Amino acid sequence: MDLRLPSKVLEHIFSFVDSNEDRNSVSLVCKSWFETERLTRKRVFVRNCYAVTPAAVARRFPEMRSLTLKGKPHFADYNLVPDGWGGYAWPWIEAMAEKSPALEELRLKRMVVTDECLEKIAASFKEFKALVLTSCEGFSTDGLAAIAVACRNLRELELRECIVEDLGGDWLSYFPETLTSLVSLDFSCLDSEVKLSDLELLVSRSPNLKSLKLNRDVSLDALGSLLRLAPQLVELGTGSFSDKLDQEAVSKLSQAFTELKELKSLSGLWDVLPEYIPLLYSVCPGLTSLNLSYATVQMPDLVELLSRCSNLQKLWVMDLIEDKGLEAVASSCKELRELRVFPSGADVDETNVALTEQGLVSVSEACPNLESVLYFCAQFTNEALVTIARNRPNLKCVRLCVMEPFAPDHKTQQPLDEGFKAIVEGCKGLQRLSVSGLLTDKAFEYIGTHGKKLRMLSIAFAGDSDLMLHHLLSGCESLNKLEIRDCPFGDTALLENAAKLETMRSLWMSSCGVSFGACKLLSQKMPKLNVEVIDEHPLKTRPDSSPVEKIYIYRTLAGPRLDMPEFVWTIHKNPEIGVSNLAIE
Amino acid sequence: MEGSSRNGEISPKLLHLIPQGRRNWFHDDKTSVYNREEKKLELKLGPPGEDEDEDGSSLIRRIKTEPKDKCILSLAGNKHFSSSIITTNKPTSQKRNAPGPVVGWPPVRSFRKNLANGSSSKLGKESTSNGVVLKNQKCDDDDGKEKTKEPKRQGGLFVKINMYGVPIGRKVDLSAHNTYEQLSLTVDKLFRGLLAAQRESLSFGKEEKPITGLLDGNGEYTLTYEDNEGDKMLVGDVPWHMFVSSVKRLRVIKTSEILSSLTYGNSKQEKMRS
Repeated sequence: MDLRLPSKVLEHIFSFVDSNEDRNSVSLVCKSWFETERLTRKRVFVRNCYAVTPAAVARRFPEMRSLTLKGKPHFADYNLVPDGWGGYAWPWIEAMAEKSPALEELRLKRMVVTDECLEKIAASFKEFKALVLTSCEGFSTDGLAAIAVACRNLRELELRECIVEDLGGDWLSYFPETLTSLVSLDFSCLDSEVKLSDLELLVSRSPNLKSLKLNRDVSLDALGSLLRLAPQLVELGTGSFSDKLDQEAVSKLSQAFTELKELKSLSGLWDVLPEYIPLLYSVCPGLTSLNLSYATVQMPDLVELLSRCSNLQKLWVMDLIEDKGLEAVASSCKELRELRVFPSGADVDETNVALTEQGLVSVSEACPNLESVLYFCAQFTNEALVTIARNRPNLKCVRLCVMEPFAPDHKTQQPLDEGFKAIVEGCKGLQRLSVSGLLTDKAFEYIGTHGKKLRMLSIAFAGDSDLMLHHLLSGCESLNKLEIRDCPFGDTALLENAAKLETMRSLWMSSCGVSFGACKLLSQKMPKLNVEVIDEHPLKTRPDSSPVEKIYIYRTLAGPRLDMPEFVWTIHKNPEIGVSNLAIE
Repeated sequence: MEGSSRNGEISPKLLHLIPQGRRNWFHDDKTSVYNREEKKLELKLGPPGEDEDEDGSSLIRRIKTEPKDKCILSLAGNKHFSSSIITTNKPTSQKRNAPGPVVGWPPVRSFRKNLANGSSSKLGKESTSNGVVLKNQKCDDDDGKEKTKEPKRQGGLFVKINMYGVPIGRKVDLSAHNTYEQLSLTVDKLFRGLLAAQRESLSFGKEEKPITGLLDGNGEYTLTYEDNEGDKMLVGDVPWHMFVSSVKRLRVIKTSEILSSLTYGNSKQEKMRS
């Protein structure tokens, strides 16, 4: 008796399987499940654009409608990846235009997207609905105009923290009058002014508009008229919040805010003047997400605002909030799940010293759902970390940035080893961790021993020796992404744990003690990895013992990439140069 | 797991394969590992001393490891530092940078760093996209294969060209032209169809009119350009080679808009920042 389920039945069952992790598991069960799954997968995530070729993806998933791609390594956000390294969207867009013309959604992160790319999208995908670009660069507002004019069913156009060559605001005027499908528009990262009348017309003919994030140039006055046209907004990013308005304008704006009955998310608020904070009071109780990380507002005003946000789940704020402000958050925002505190000063010396470890301790005590934390702070203590771990064993993401490299526990002068031990031991579901401050190899022994669910780990200025890397690579079973800078590693741990690298998405190491010879050896032994040596100032001759500036190692099915710039070396470039003086067994 | 047995296989051989001189970072010498006193004394944060390794890092650490020996783990204990020593030294990368601001530290995106000054949200990394060939996209491929990157980016002097009323811009290879006349013909070729398509959608009726009079002010449209100083100029006034060396991008504007287009200037430069 044939016990296999007919593919139609399988298809129906798989249609309930949403998450890609589950779908990946499903596809491993057997051949027929693999086939059925691949023919029904609509949303494809490629988390390293160089891990697989566009053609392979298109071939495997013929019904793909949504593609998410990530390009550069995370440390590119901090200018550690030189310009021109790679991450080009073009090959993907070109391939999909030919093989997957029914594509509807494209989400790109840390990729180089040019106007040609945008024009190609506009010209090739007739049903295109959503373009979300996060931390991308390489295009201008001309490319946006092409998208606007051509994508007749556009629902989402979001530019999140992109670097865009801004040639003026007329791109917005290219949305045709027939376009009424817009659900989400985010141009907050653009510089220049768009015509208010264009914007108003667009908003008024978009009844489904739920998310609108304006750029800094949209005045407070303009905001008022836009809000009156779109009271149904769920997410709002304001423009600059600092124009001087007369009394009538203020009360009209206040009224407009009270009409926003559905508003759950608020951001923007550049330069918000303290006298305008009360304008926001009416929406506070409904807010679940508040991004004040551009608002240079002082603690008392922040407290006034936040004490009204009883349903807040996500809060991004600057260290101007100080410990006292976080205490207010602790007592008012019981639903808090994610907290990010950014530095207000330009560098280490300008850190706000009224924000200490105590602020985070208070929040961890009082907010039972807190699971994700990003915290920039001048200094920390082991005691605080131990307390936080004890208060919040449900933490999933802990990113602590003690601003001064090598700073010890400021009360005991000890390394922060014991504190981070408590975190990894106590928070058993911890998936993401960034460590800082003074740390010895011991800290990483603890992380290796306890951080079994850890997927992403970021390390800077830490450790004593190769042991550190060895602990991590041999201990952290779930490790997926590891990024390290300025730590004293040598080659041993890397080479000893080479096989581990195939189980991870990527490893980044910069300003560590890895030698050129080790990179060559690793490349030779591990053909399924791309071992990229990034050196903007290479020595004329590279002896095997010379340390390399940066290495980026990732597993790939696609082999060596064809778009490497001069400053990226892989073994494929000079295959004739063997590993000198080394006997290959 | 196959991987780990391969690991075990590799490990001892790889260690031997690393040339002796490279083992500055670690010792197999057990005695020095156990010598806590020596370790404490050798830890320095001052100027480069005799412990400086070959990379010249000004942060001096004597690196020791004995991976197979569990004992080292019990020895890793507390280090005693006074915070004042630490704060006087900014760490450096191995590139022998002068002590001072460290690249990418603190790990904050560039646009967040200038908020306190109230300036634009986009300082920091400059866009790598301009009208001409991107400087870092030179690829080093020994076979000299054609790269599957952007079209038309290999060689030539490409500048962007936009036309009033046509949202999609194009690129022109100036090195393939010798005179303004040739350029004018190219512009006509590039945009005639697009312009007609645009007009059709505005129900002007589809007619492909040639685009003429770009250089003399007689046509409906005029060709202008932006030079490397951001100034907007009429095309045709200077000798060709001078034009080619200073042009950054081209724009085809309506002849009736000449005065306002050229006097407005560069929007970015004129913009008053709040």
